[in-house]
Amino acid sequence: MGIRARVASLLAELPREPQYPTQCATLFVDLERRETQTAYAPLSVARSFLGGRGANMFYLFRLLDETKTPLDPEVPLIFGSGPLTGLVPSAARGNCTSWSPDSGILMDCNAGDYFPSFTRMNGLDHIVLYGRAPSWALMIIRDGAIEFRDAAPYVGMDNIDMRDAIQRDLGGVWKRNMSMVNITRAGENLVLTSGIMAGPKAIYARGGPGAKMGALQLKGIVTLSPTREFPAAQPYKPYNRHIAQKLLGTSVVKNALSVTGTPFLYKPSRILGAMGTKNNQETTWTDQLDAEHIDPYRPGMEGCFRCPVNCRPLNDLHTGDADKYGKGDGPEYVTLGKFGPNLGVTTVEPVIRLNNICNDLGLDTASMGSALSWAFELFQRGIITTKDTGGIELAWGDAAVIEQLLFLTSRREGFGDVLADSARAVESGKYPVEALPYRMTVKGLWQSDPHDARILKAFALGLAVATRGMDHLRNRVTLEINAKINDDADFKAELYGGVVSAEPNSYVGKERAVRACENIYAVGDSVGMCRFTTKLFNSPSLPGLEEFQQQLANVTGLQFSLAELDRAGLNIMGVERMINQRLGVRREDDTLPDRWFDEPTMSGPFKGERIDRDEFQAMLSKFYAISELTDQGVPQEAFRAQLLAAMGV
Amino acid sequence: MAVTVRFPSMFHGKTGHQVVVSEPVTSIPGLLDVLERQFPGLSADLADPIYNFAVNDEMLLHGVNAHPLHDGDVIEIVPTISGG
Repeated sequence: MGIRARVASLLAELPREPQYPTQCATLFVDLERRETQTAYAPLSVARSFLGGRGANMFYLFRLLDETKTPLDPEVPLIFGSGPLTGLVPSAARGNCTSWSPDSGILMDCNAGDYFPSFTRMNGLDHIVLYGRAPSWALMIIRDGAIEFRDAAPYVGMDNIDMRDAIQRDLGGVWKRNMSMVNITRAGENLVLTSGIMAGPKAIYARGGPGAKMGALQLKGIVTLSPTREFPAAQPYKPYNRHIAQKLLGTSVVKNALSVTGTPFLYKPSRILGAMGTKNNQETTWTDQLDAEHIDPYRPGMEGCFRCPVNCRPLNDLHTGDADKYGKGDGPEYVTLGKFGPNLGVTTVEPVIRLNNICNDLGLDTASMGSALSWAFELFQRGIITTKDTGGIELAWGDAAVIEQLLFLTSRREGFGDVLADSARAVESGKYPVEALPYRMTVKGLWQSDPHDARILKAFALGLAVATRGMDHLRNRVTLEINAKINDDADFKAELYGGVVSAEPNSYVGKERAVRACENIYAVGDSVGMCRFTTKLFNSPSLPGLEEFQQQLANVTGLQFSLAELDRAGLNIMGVERMINQRLGVRREDDTLPDRWFDEPTMSGPFKGERIDRDEFQAMLSKFYAISELTDQGVPQEAFRAQLLAAMGV
Repeated sequence: MAVTVRFPSMFHGKTGHQVVVSEPVTSIPGLLDVLERQFPGLSADLADPIYNFAVNDEMLLHGVNAHPLHDGDVIEIVPTISGG
């Protein structure tokens, strides 16, 4: 059955009217024929998976044909916003979902800025795209109406130029009445580390979504409409004030996120000896990248739609207006780590510049930084040489070479064509098989963050079981690095629903903490809340299930118990694992790079730490058991039947 | 007996970059008592879970109250957040 038949079959089941107050439509877009249809997600989907990421999984599960390949236009690309997106402080997020051309498993990315909120201002919760446009297309959503334009004038443009051109051509104003998702040359060239830009820096990053959108010949989607009020089930703004106060009163927001942003984390990771360095060959690095060294280059902070936190640091290298990459947005901690210690760079200035280049080229700094460090280690070991790199010496810390490689990658020129194949460079025959032991991936996806997780066993388990591959934003038990919580056993047990060892390098109870985080983060994604401001990620004091429960009731009229919301988080993980099962994922894929099992850390207070294979397998089995998964990591029969029923299968 | 305490930037207005405590303190709680006398209200600020302590560049992730302090130690207050 082709994608059109699948869509038709699904549409025959879907309601044509909203199922609850403030619900927006799902837009199905046949890019090849330039035809659109709308419907609404069923109530059973909202009750089991909420919306946003969760409802995206419903659409992908129903429309996926696993006999195709990820870049096939028959495989849909799905955007989704949550039911609280655009309406609640710090809920400005949405997800982008498909079959990853990079990892080969589930692709699911989350971004903020303005697009997820502004699609809802146009009456849309989800956009399901399929078919290859006959020529490069730009889709415009203006006051809810869909228009297609020839994107030829924008082909070849990267992010900075395209945003300027769109503002000039369409006459809207960013952040006031216009938003956009777009690909860059990297996406046009099917670079597997390319993302879909959602702002000057915001990016649907992980798993090659830029390549997926490029394969559909869709250059961008622009929304144009004023913001509007939503007729909610009950007044919700009074409770918004409570949430805003809770956000702004939380120390981590007040003292760190709103002032400096995430680069704060570099220092504790460095001191701990858990800073992934030179492709994780080492685990500590210079203090010259501590956040305070970025202070002179930070003129201010930015934020997403109606978010009071403003956690995004802007940058200005004071190199003058003629320098295209002398100013920008970021870097976040991930970029600081991936382009600092991971590549042997020792000062902040080149990291900031490389960050600005990645934002323009539309490259995921996590995957791009990892693809580069893999290449640099292969070069160091002689597995590749200048014969393979086109004469380029891959010397750790050489920022000029890194900059050159970013541009080559975006154009797939020279050695850039190898880097553009990302983690699949062995599979595509561009690296020898001897390269694989040094590839720092899980389930084919590069590690998202620079933290070396040989010490903190909860971090390690989270990276192993995350449904999109090696990514900390799905389930990281960040409070494991928090001594006051570790030393309060009762409070820690209350947070995670049972005993979790106070010792960061212990395996005891860590599966419970990962399960709790995975649930609440999936719920946060599926209502539209930012991870940084969701309980358990940065603080136990941030909005969590209680606040989501209250605002879901106010905004949508849907009543959830706290147990039902927690269960929705489990459900979302469950359907994601069912999708991955269809794509061939099994227990042996829920693992970690061999380096973390075989090579002990060589510095820091936890020198000698590594992951014990037997302890890891025991922890994984416990995780499966409390997650209602079989010993192969897929939903047990009763759980599976419940999920299928919720999806109308 | 003297230990040096280094503060993160958000406290510099109240405490300066660092202070030297020349009283006989043998533990983090004892140190916090001394700092509270010097900077009233500081211990309440530091009670927030965001703040970890690193002693001589070794960050304490648990067992903070039992960790002994010695003459010459450098104690750094390290705010910890996650990242993206």
